[in-house]
Amino acid sequence: MNGQATVKKAKAITTKAKKPRSLEKTRSRAGWFFVLPFVATFLAVYIPIIIDSIKYSFNRIEMLKGGGYTLHFVGWQNYSEALFVNPNFVKILTSGIQQLIFDIPAIVIFALFIAVILNQKMPGRALFRTVFFIPVIISTGIVESLDASNVLLDYMGSTSTIDTGTGTQSQASEIISSMDIQRLFANMKIGTELVDYVVQLVNNIYSIINRSGVQMLIFLAGLQSISPAIYESAFMEGASAWETFWKITFPMISPMILVNAIYTVIDSFTSESNQVMTFISGIYHGSEPNGDVISSAMSWMYFLIVILIIAVVSLLLSAYVFYQRRD
Amino acid sequence: MNNSIIDKTKKYLTRNKKPRVEFERTPLLQRLKQKFISTAFLQNVVWFIFRFVLLLGISYVILFPFFVKISSSFMSPMDFTDVTVKLVPKYPTLDTYKAIITENRYFEAMFNTAVLSLLCAVVQMLICSIVGYGLAKFKFKGRGIVFMCVIFTMVVPHETLMLSMFMKFRFFDVFGIYGFLNSLFGFAKENYINMINTYWPLAILSFGGMAFKNGLYIFMMRQFFLGVPDELEEAAYVDGSGVFNTFVKIILPISVPMMITVFLFAFSWQWTDSFYTTLFYTKQGIYLMPNIVGVPRSLTTSFAAASLYESAVVNTCSLLILFPLLIVYIFCQKYLVQGIERSGIVG
Repeated sequence: MNGQATVKKAKAITTKAKKPRSLEKTRSRAGWFFVLPFVATFLAVYIPIIIDSIKYSFNRIEMLKGGGYTLHFVGWQNYSEALFVNPNFVKILTSGIQQLIFDIPAIVIFALFIAVILNQKMPGRALFRTVFFIPVIISTGIVESLDASNVLLDYMGSTSTIDTGTGTQSQASEIISSMDIQRLFANMKIGTELVDYVVQLVNNIYSIINRSGVQMLIFLAGLQSISPAIYESAFMEGASAWETFWKITFPMISPMILVNAIYTVIDSFTSESNQVMTFISGIYHGSEPNGDVISSAMSWMYFLIVILIIAVVSLLLSAYVFYQRRD
Repeated sequence: MNNSIIDKTKKYLTRNKKPRVEFERTPLLQRLKQKFISTAFLQNVVWFIFRFVLLLGISYVILFPFFVKISSSFMSPMDFTDVTVKLVPKYPTLDTYKAIITENRYFEAMFNTAVLSLLCAVVQMLICSIVGYGLAKFKFKGRGIVFMCVIFTMVVPHETLMLSMFMKFRFFDVFGIYGFLNSLFGFAKENYINMINTYWPLAILSFGGMAFKNGLYIFMMRQFFLGVPDELEEAAYVDGSGVFNTFVKIILPISVPMMITVFLFAFSWQWTDSFYTTLFYTKQGIYLMPNIVGVPRSLTTSFAAASLYESAVVNTCSLLILFPLLIVYIFCQKYLVQGIERSGIVG
């Protein structure tokens, strides 16, 4: 009698022990159901597109008159043509990558600085935020490509009242040249490269602002998630604002810096104002024979280089990233 | 009469004042001195002014192109040859707007783009929140791989896939299934579907969560759902609600600010997109916003400042493209910051 009862109990326990597993199973099935639209399209459309793109870069396409197309395998010819025959590709590629490497620190630092300021309490904060996030919404796509080379903005931006025909300088560069900052810093013997870099940044302030909108938002979100208790205790211990920034805000925001650095790379090399991308899509839409396949070979090369840059950036930065929760 | 009342109140005040004073306060002047003549206060004032000037300056840099575009959109060709005209037109005209709206068929483009962007934005918003929820709240085998795939779609630039994407939707077929069915039953002449100049390519991409920057949206939604406490769902499960019921009735209502943020991004980035629109649509097919960019025939001039004037016309086009977006932004910007702040994106 007693034994039977224990058997029953044991059975009950085993069935109970089974139950969580089945719950887990239903949970995991539900999880698959939620990601199904993405996974299905990824497998059915995206993977074939990727494979096709790699395939096309080794082929020539011939459109048939009755509809449809045939492929002719040509090996590495598209790649070699892009690298050695096209006169501009290598030049534009190197300058584009150089530009990208220079822009990453500028955009990330600028976005962090503005996010810290916009996070402080002050009159008119809501208004400033509204203005600062306008570029996120509008400076993409067609408008960005229109603004990238805008004769009108350059003309209106110049402060010279008498147009001598050369009034294409932007205001920023005029401020710099009028204040002779360049010469001042050159006299300080800190190296002309650094001075040139800073001057170039100031001249490009408009494009840097336009491209740091999303990064600003991400930083702002990160700043909001830092617990105010930490700041309070630092304040009680008598830390200055400068110390608080470097000892608390900076380490706490460092994962965001990594995210933003990577996002900046991705964003700037997929954006419409990127000169390499403009060049490649010019080749695609252009009249050059086989431009379509050569452009896809070019973009695969560019993609590999950018992946390399992302790997290097994330390796370099992840050494300094501080994670609050170390499990 | 009046004086007596004042005297009385004065007396009353002096009588009642004394007992209230419990300790010697430092005089007002000294207190003010301590407060306002100190390095800390000075630092604050300097920082306040510096910050304000900096923000104002950057706002100016952001807004200045708008001022230029708006003012030059009202200018006539004469204004560009006149060197005394800078920002305020001397001979204001509405011809630029009229010509663009009638000759470049602005309203047709706006209607088509609005349909396309709304369709894409709504689908992307829903799909990205569903996928983000699945990635954030369920533990299943291969979750890491799926998430890596999401990041992968974000990293690969669509220019790399330009040609193959065009070919895919020009000769659309999934694993040859359509071709097989077609050769079996023979309901169409060709063994593929031509989707160019239809809404389908973008609809399919949006439905799969891999249209323009959808990886970012999925990432954002995932981060947001990671921050939603599990107890909320557990309470719903205990009360007998199913997984999908919980998602629709509990989770979606609290994620509205985040979803509006995603909607705003998706809508505006689709609205100004020229990559997909030039790839999938021709001018004769579906007339979209990027197609209105150009100088209308009635406005072509051979003035001295023709290039400037034409640039002004093109800028007016971009202003007209942006105008509906700005209205949407003004209504939604409150949610943008709110949604982002609540997402708590942490590495």
